[in-house]
Amino acid sequence: MTTTYTPTNPVWCSGCGHYGVKGAMERSLAQLGIAPHETMLLTGIGCSGSVQNNINAYGYHSMHGRVLPTATGAALANPELTVIAAGGDGDGYAIGGGHLVHALKRNASVLYILMNNAVYGLTKGQNSPTSGTAVDAVADAPIDGVSMGLAIPGTTFLARGFTRDADQLNDLMTKALEHVRAKKGFAFLEVLSPCVTYNDTFPDWDARVHNVDADPDYAPNDRGAAFVKTMNLNSEGKIPTGLIYHEDRPCFEAELLKNDTSPAQLSAHDPKNHLDKLQAVMERYHM
Amino acid sequence: MNIMTDMKKFTSEPRLCDDLTVCVAGQGGDGSLTIVTLLSDVLAHHGLNLYRTSNIASRIKGGHASALVRGSFEQHGGLGSAINILVAFDDEAIRLRGPYLTDDAIVIYDTSRGPLPEGIVPETVTLLEVPFSRYSVRELARDLFKNSFGFGLLSRVLGLADIEADQYLTNRFKKLKGRAMEGNRQALKLGFEVADEFGLTVGHQMLQLPKGEKKDHLFITGNEATAFGFLAAGGRFYAGYPITPATEVMDWLGKNLPQFDGVMVQAEDELSAINMAIGASLTGARAMTGSSSPGIALMGESISHCGSAEIPMVIVNSQRAGPSTGMPTKVEQSDLGMMISGGNGDFPRIVLAPGNSHECFEIGALATNLAQIAQCPVFIALDRALSQDTMTVPYFDLDSVEMDTGKMLDAAEVAELDEYKRYKITKDGISPWAIPGTPEGMSLVTGNERNEWGQVSTDLANRVAMMDKRSRKLETIKPMLPKAIVYGDTASKVGIIGVGVVGGIISETHNLLEQEGYKFQVHRPRVLFPLLQETLDFIASCDRVYVVEHSESGQLERVLSGAGADPSKLHGIRKYDGTPFWSDELTNRIKDAEAAK
Repeated sequence: MTTTYTPTNPVWCSGCGHYGVKGAMERSLAQLGIAPHETMLLTGIGCSGSVQNNINAYGYHSMHGRVLPTATGAALANPELTVIAAGGDGDGYAIGGGHLVHALKRNASVLYILMNNAVYGLTKGQNSPTSGTAVDAVADAPIDGVSMGLAIPGTTFLARGFTRDADQLNDLMTKALEHVRAKKGFAFLEVLSPCVTYNDTFPDWDARVHNVDADPDYAPNDRGAAFVKTMNLNSEGKIPTGLIYHEDRPCFEAELLKNDTSPAQLSAHDPKNHLDKLQAVMERYHM
Repeated sequence: MNIMTDMKKFTSEPRLCDDLTVCVAGQGGDGSLTIVTLLSDVLAHHGLNLYRTSNIASRIKGGHASALVRGSFEQHGGLGSAINILVAFDDEAIRLRGPYLTDDAIVIYDTSRGPLPEGIVPETVTLLEVPFSRYSVRELARDLFKNSFGFGLLSRVLGLADIEADQYLTNRFKKLKGRAMEGNRQALKLGFEVADEFGLTVGHQMLQLPKGEKKDHLFITGNEATAFGFLAAGGRFYAGYPITPATEVMDWLGKNLPQFDGVMVQAEDELSAINMAIGASLTGARAMTGSSSPGIALMGESISHCGSAEIPMVIVNSQRAGPSTGMPTKVEQSDLGMMISGGNGDFPRIVLAPGNSHECFEIGALATNLAQIAQCPVFIALDRALSQDTMTVPYFDLDSVEMDTGKMLDAAEVAELDEYKRYKITKDGISPWAIPGTPEGMSLVTGNERNEWGQVSTDLANRVAMMDKRSRKLETIKPMLPKAIVYGDTASKVGIIGVGVVGGIISETHNLLEQEGYKFQVHRPRVLFPLLQETLDFIASCDRVYVVEHSESGQLERVLSGAGADPSKLHGIRKYDGTPFWSDELTNRIKDAEAAK
C-alpha cells in the first residue's frame, strides 16, 4: 500500500448543514461502489470548498466561482472518472453564475452539488444571492436555482435536497451520481445546508420545504408541470425539494468524443503513432 | 471592347524584379485577398519566398481593407521598403497606401467611381486606370469578378503567358462550380483585353519575374503553426473564446483535434476557457488555452493558480494593440509585463517568444512539453502580425517531436512508493505526480499554500520551503529553453535586440545597414522569462543596444533592465501606431539614432 494523504476532519462549525452533505456524498459513493481513485471531487471557495479535504478521492480546490469549468474540463478529458463539483451559493450563483448557466446548457457529465446556506459564512455573514425570502423581497429578490435550472433548455437533472432529511438527500445524490455515471450529462443538486452561525435558516426552512417526491402525482419528466408546481409553491412561500426534473438526452462528451480514446490516454497520443496523419496536416500548407 | 482612350503604350524594357511587394486595397468585402492569393501562387512558382499580410478594420464588411504580398529571394519576416504595385479599388486606398509607393511603382486604379483625383500619386509612378467594377457588373453582372479582371491585367504586367494566368486561376478556384468559374475566366480575359490596349502584350511586360526554381516549403501563419506544434507534441485539449487575433488557434484546433481524438471547447468566456483547460490538465491530458491581450488579462487569476497549484498549462497570447479594447486588428507587443509579472503573488512561469511561423511550430511543441516537465504556466508570446501573417518556411521536422511527460507517475510507479506526496519537496523543485484514475495516487491539489500532502497549511517554515521549491523549477528548466538567434559582427559594440515580428524585420534591417557600412550584432531572444544569461551577456558586451519594439512604454526594455541589464546601454526604438515596422523605416530610425550619438 502506498501511503497518501489522510482525509482530515471538517473545519465546519458544530451543527453546520455541510456535515449532512458530506455524509450523503460518502454514503452514495459507497452504495454505488465507486472507487476513491476513480472519483474526482472539485470544490469552489468558501466553507463548502473544503469538503474535498475530508473525503478519500482525488481532490481539487478551484478558484472562486470556477469549479464548473474545471470539472467540465476534467470530465471531457477523462470520461472514466466520476466527476463531482461542489460549492456554495456565492460560488455558484454569484461569482460563478455564468458558468452554472452554461454548465446546464452544455450538459457534460458532472454532478454539481450547490450547498446553499444563503449567506457568505467564511467572510462572516454578508448577504449572498439567496439571502432573504422570495415572498417578502421586492427589490433584490433571491435567486431560485430550481426555477433557473428549469428555464435552461439544456437541463437534464435538477433536484433539491435539505440536510435535515438525510435519507432523501442520500437518495437524490445517488440518483444524480447514476445520471452522471450513465453519461446522461449534468446533474444539478442544490442542497439547503444552513449556516448555524451566521444565518440559521433551519427553523425557517423546516417550515417551508415541500417534498415533491412525496406527491404521487408529480411527474419529474414534465418540464411544464415542474415549472407550474415550482411557481405555485414559491408563491405560497414554500420551497420545493426532491427530484424536480429529469430528462434523457445525449451528454456533451458523447458529441465531442467519437471514439473510445480520450485526451487523457497519453500513450495513445504519442506523436510517433501519428506521423502519417501529422504529415498529411502539414502537406495542406505546401506551397 | 475599347475601354481606354488616348492610350499611352508601354514599350520600355521590363525591369527585373526579385523583391516585389504588391498591395491590393479597397473596401472590406471587395475581395482584396483574392488577387493577393493568386499572386502568391505566381511568385512562389518563380522561386520566391513569400510574406503575406492584410490590414483590415474590426468589422465584417466595409472599412479600408488591404492585402499585401511580398515575394523575394531572401525570406523576410515583414514588409520591406515600399509597395511596388498597388491595385486600388477606391481613392481611399490610394490616399492610405500612396505614401508607401516606390518612385517607380505601378498603380492600377479602378475608375468606376470617377477618375483618380489630381495630385494624389507621385508623378513618377505609372498609372493604369481601368473601370474594373463598372465593367465587371456590365459585362459579367457581378462586381466581385473585378478581382480576376485585375489579375488578368496584372499577369500581363508581370509577363505571364495567358494560359499560365488561366491555370493559376483555375487551380486556385478549383472548388468553384460552373458559372462562377466561367465568370472568373471571362473576367480574366477582360484583363487581357485591357492589357492589349495598354500595349502590354505578351513579351511586352513591365516587370520581369526571376526564373527561379520553385521551392517546396510551407505557407502558414503563426497561429496555425503554434496550434500544429501543440497537436504534434500530443496536445489534445483546447478551450478558448473567440477574440481577434487569436481566434484562428481555436478554429484550427476545433477542426483538427477531433481527428486525433482530442477535444476543443468554445467556452462561455476566458475564465471558463482556462479553467476547462486546467480541469483537462489535472487528468493528465495535454492542455492549452489561448486568447489575445484583454482575454489573457481575464485569465490572470487562473494563471497564478496554475503557478501555485503546479498545473501544466500552455497559454497562447496573440497580442494586439492595447490598452483595454485597444485596436483589435493591430500589432503591439505591450503584454510582456503582464505575461512576465501579471497575476497575484510570486510563482514560476515561462514566457517563450517565437519569431516566425517555423519557430511557432517548434515552440508550440516545446511549450507543450515544458508545461508538463515544469508543471507551471508556459506562455507563447505572439503578436498580431506573427499570428495572422502568412509566410513561407521550411517543412517542420515532425520526426524530432517528442512527447515528454516529465515526472508523471504511472500506476506501477505509484505502487512501488512507500508514500506518495503530490507536493513533495525535491531538489529540482518538481514533484512527481499521479493523475486521477491512478490507484493509490489520491492527492489534494489546491491554490492555497499547502504541505507536501496537499493539505492547506500556513505553517511558516512550510510556506518558505514551498515557495523556494516552486522557484527552483526555473533553474531546472533553463537548460531546456531555446537559445537566442544571433548574427552580425560580433566585434561590433553596437547591438540590436527585438522579439516576435520585430525579429524578422531586424534581420532585413541589419542587411540594409550592413550594405551601408554599419556594423551591428543582433540578438533575438526566444525566451523572455526566465531571461537567459546569454541575453545579459550580449548586452554587457555592447556599448549600446537598440531595443526595437512595438510598445509605447518600452516593455521589452524593462524586461531586459529588470533582469539585470545595464539600463544606460539600452536605447528604445519604439513604434505603437498599430503597424509593424517596415525595414527601411527601421533602418532610418537606427541610422538617425546612430547619427545622434
